[in-house]
Amino acid sequence: MPHSFKLPPLNLEQFSLDNGLRVVLDRDDSIPVVSMAVYYDVGSRNERGDRTGFAHLFEHMMFQGSENVPKAGHFQYIMKAGGTMNGTTSSERTNYYETLPADQLPLGLWLESDRMRSLAVTQENLDNQREAVKEEKRLRYDNQPYGQIFDLISSMIYKNFANSHSTIGSMEHLDAASVEDVQEFFRIYYAPNNAVLVLSGAFDPNTAKELIEKCFGDIPSQPAPPAINVEEPGEVASNYSEWHDPLAPFPAFLIGWKIPQRGTEEFRALYLAGKVLYDGDSSRLYQKLVKGDESVIQLFGFTDERRGPSSIFVGAIPKPDEDLSAIRETIMNEIRDLSVHGPTPSEMEKIENQLLNDAVRTRQSSLARTQQIAEFALYDNDPNFFNSELDSLLKISAEQIKLAAAKFLNTDNRALLDVVPAGSGA
Amino acid sequence: MNPEFRKHPPESLASVPFDIPRPFETTLSNGLRVVIFENERLPLVSYRLAFFAGDIDETENGRGLVSAMALLLTEGTENYSSQQLAEKIERLGAGISAHSSFDFTTISASSLSFYTSAIFEMLSEIILKPTFPESEIDLYRRNLLENLKFQRSQPPFLASEQAARLIYGKHPYSHVSLKPADVERIDRESLQRTHRKVLVPNNAVMLIVGDVRRDEVIKELEQHLDGWQPGSAPVRNFPEVPKREKRSITVVDRPGSSQSNIVIANSGFDRSSPDYFASLVMNQVLGAGASSRVFMNLREEKGYTYGAYTRMDARSLAGDIEATAEVRNDVTGESISEFFKEFERIRDEKVEAEELSDAQSFLTGVFPIRAETQEGLTSLLINRELYGLPEDYLETYRERVKSVTADEVMDAAQKYIRPAEMAIVVVGDAASVVPQIKEFAPTVEVFDTDGSLIESQ
Repeated sequence: MPHSFKLPPLNLEQFSLDNGLRVVLDRDDSIPVVSMAVYYDVGSRNERGDRTGFAHLFEHMMFQGSENVPKAGHFQYIMKAGGTMNGTTSSERTNYYETLPADQLPLGLWLESDRMRSLAVTQENLDNQREAVKEEKRLRYDNQPYGQIFDLISSMIYKNFANSHSTIGSMEHLDAASVEDVQEFFRIYYAPNNAVLVLSGAFDPNTAKELIEKCFGDIPSQPAPPAINVEEPGEVASNYSEWHDPLAPFPAFLIGWKIPQRGTEEFRALYLAGKVLYDGDSSRLYQKLVKGDESVIQLFGFTDERRGPSSIFVGAIPKPDEDLSAIRETIMNEIRDLSVHGPTPSEMEKIENQLLNDAVRTRQSSLARTQQIAEFALYDNDPNFFNSELDSLLKISAEQIKLAAAKFLNTDNRALLDVVPAGSGA
Repeated sequence: MNPEFRKHPPESLASVPFDIPRPFETTLSNGLRVVIFENERLPLVSYRLAFFAGDIDETENGRGLVSAMALLLTEGTENYSSQQLAEKIERLGAGISAHSSFDFTTISASSLSFYTSAIFEMLSEIILKPTFPESEIDLYRRNLLENLKFQRSQPPFLASEQAARLIYGKHPYSHVSLKPADVERIDRESLQRTHRKVLVPNNAVMLIVGDVRRDEVIKELEQHLDGWQPGSAPVRNFPEVPKREKRSITVVDRPGSSQSNIVIANSGFDRSSPDYFASLVMNQVLGAGASSRVFMNLREEKGYTYGAYTRMDARSLAGDIEATAEVRNDVTGESISEFFKEFERIRDEKVEAEELSDAQSFLTGVFPIRAETQEGLTSLLINRELYGLPEDYLETYRERVKSVTADEVMDAAQKYIRPAEMAIVVVGDAASVVPQIKEFAPTVEVFDTDGSLIESQ
C-alpha cells in the first residue's frame, strides 16, 4: 500500500479581472500543449418554464460567430491551429473548452473573448442550429433504445422544476425560441462576472496574464443574474412509473434516489457506496447479478453531481424471462447489507487505490485538469479543492458509507422506472 | 485596449518543438518483442501485449473463438477464480482486459507504478494459465446470445453489418457479428486450442509505457513469462475484396424510426499503403472533422443532422472509406444528394491552397495533444508496431503530412472516392425512405432488422 505516497499539489494561481472574470492558471510544461476552459454559471437549472432546452440551444449559438469571427469560424480557427474544442451543457453550467499547441494560446483567448464580448445572432443561424439540436435530440434520446430513461427518472426524483426538467428540452420549446430570447440570455448569463476562465498546460504566466487582460479586460460586467432556488423536499416526486419504449428490445428498470448536494460528506460517502455496489467486475452487484444469479445482461450505476440536491442511480437490463422484482429485491438486499455492516476492509482498500488511480490519471491531461479546476472554481469559488478533494474522499470512513447508505438508499426515497418494450419487435 | 487587435486572429507565440524519443526495444529468448518507453512524469504504467492474430484468423467453423478466448482469459486461471482475479486487480485500483479485433488480439493493463510487480504476476496468470472454466464459458455463451439480439436494436450496428457485407464480400472483414450457431460451437476444448494458437510469444509485441525502469521490466518479464513456448504465426490467405461495378441501395427497415442512419461506402486501402498520407489529408478536407466539407454542408448550412463525417478505416490487409450521418427522415434523399455533390467536388476540383494547409495544420498540430496521456502515447507507439510502420514513423509523421500536395489529394480522391460504385446503406423507416432515395442507384434491397431480405427491386 502506498500510504506514504502523496500526490504533489498543483500550484494554482488565481485572480480576478476588474470586470469580475475569475481566472485560474495551472502551469505544467511537460507537453507543449495548452488547454483552456470558460465555464459560465448557467445551465438548464436557470431555464424558464416555457423554454426548456434553451441553455443547450444557446451553447450551439456560441459557435455561430461573433463580431470578428465569422459563422463556424470558431471550429475552423481552432482546427487549422491544430487544436480540438467543444462545448457542453448540463443542469449546472455551460462549458466551452479547447486544447491547442502551446504557441496558439493567443488564438484561444482571442476566440473565447470575442464571443463573450460580442456574440452575433441571426435568425438564419438560430433556425439552422435549432434543426441541428433537434437532430441531436433524436439521435441521443428519441431514436435510441432506453434513450429517454434518465430524463424520465429525473422528473420522478425532483419536484422543483429547476431540477426536474431535461437539458435537451422539448421540441415545442425549441421551436418557440426567438432571436430576442438568445440576446436576452446572452446579456444576463454570458457576462464576465458570471464565468470562470482556466488555463492548464505549457504557458508563461506573465504572457498569459497580459493576453487575458488584453482580450477580456474591456468586456463590461452585468448585474448578477436572477437568483434561483433549487431546494427540494426530502421525498421523491413519484415512486413508480412505467415507460413504454417502442425501441427497447428487452425490459429494463432504473432506480434513482435523491441525495444531498456535491461537496458534502454524505454525497462523498454515497459516491463511494456506489463504487462498492456497481463499479467494476468485483463490485457487489456485478458479482451477485451478472455472475452469481446470472440474471442480468447489463448492470450500471452512477451519481449525478449537482450543486443542489443530487441523485444516484442503479439500473439493469435483465435477461428475458427473468423476474424483475426478484432482481430488485437482490439489489435492495445488498444495499441493506451495506447499510448494516458497511464496506469490508478489502473494499475500503479498493476504494483508496481507485481514488488514487483516478486522481493520478486526471493529472495527465491538461484538458481534464482544466475542466475539474473550473468546476471547483465555479461551484466552490476555490480552485484549490482540486488539490484537497482526494483527501476529502479518502477521509470518508466505512462507518460514514454505512450510515449514508442507511439514510438515503432506502425504499421510501426511491424512484423506480420500469421500461416495457412496446415496439413491433424491433 | 486596441480595437485593431480584435479584428484579426493574433499571431502565435514562438513555437515549441515536440519530439517523442525512440523507445527501448529488445527481444526475449522466446521471441517476444518488447518495447519500453520510460516516462517518470506520473506514477502510472500502461501495458499492451498485442498478438498478430485476430478474428480473421478463425476458420469457418470456429467463428467467435478468438474473441471468446480473449474475453475469457480474465475469467479463471490455475490459481485464481474469475471473482478472485477481479478482486485482486481492482483492489490495486488497476485494470486488466483482453479483446480481439479483426487483425489482432490485445491484452491491456494499467496501474499505479507501485503495483508493477503484481501486474506482471497477474498478466502471467492470464497469459500462461487460463483455465476456461465450463461455467464461465456457459455464461459467456448465454450473454453473447442476448447481446446479439440487443445489437439488432442499434442502428449503427445494423448499418455496419450491411456495409461490411457489401464492401468485403467473401473476405473475412465482412464478418462484423456472429450467428447463434457460431456461439453454440464455442467450447472448452476449442478455446484451449485457440489459446495455444493465438498467444504465441514470437508473434507478438509487448509495449510498456510509464514510470518503469527497463532492466527491472526485463527481469520481471523473464521471471513471470518463463516457460512460454514459441509457436507459429497464422497464415493469411484470403479471398480478394470484391470489385464493385455499380451503385446499390440497401435499406434496413426500422418502422417508425424518427431518423435515418446513412452510410455510403466503398473499399479503400490497407494501413501500409503508400497512399495513406495523401488520403489522410484528403479525408480531413472532405469529412474527418467539424470544419470539414460534409459537416459544414449538411449540418452548418442545411441543418439536416447533428453530425456528418467521412472516415477511413485502414486495416492490416484492406480497408474502406465511408461517409456517415444520422438525419431526420424527410431529408434522407437530400442528404445523400449533398454527400454525392461533395464526393464529385473533391474528385473534380483541386483543393485550394488554404484549405489544404488548414487540413495539414490540424493533423500536425493535434499530434502532441494525442501524446499527452499515457493511453494516447501508447496508441501511437503500438500502431507503429502493429502495422509494421517505419522506425522513424512518429518522427517523420508531421513532415509527411505537410508534404502532401493538392495534386496528390485529387489523385487520392479519384482513386478512393468512387461514387459510381458506392454502397448506400440506410437504416430507417423504409416506407418513407425508399421513395426518396431510389433514384440514386439501379437496385434497392430492403432487409428487416433480423438481417433477412424482405424485398429486392
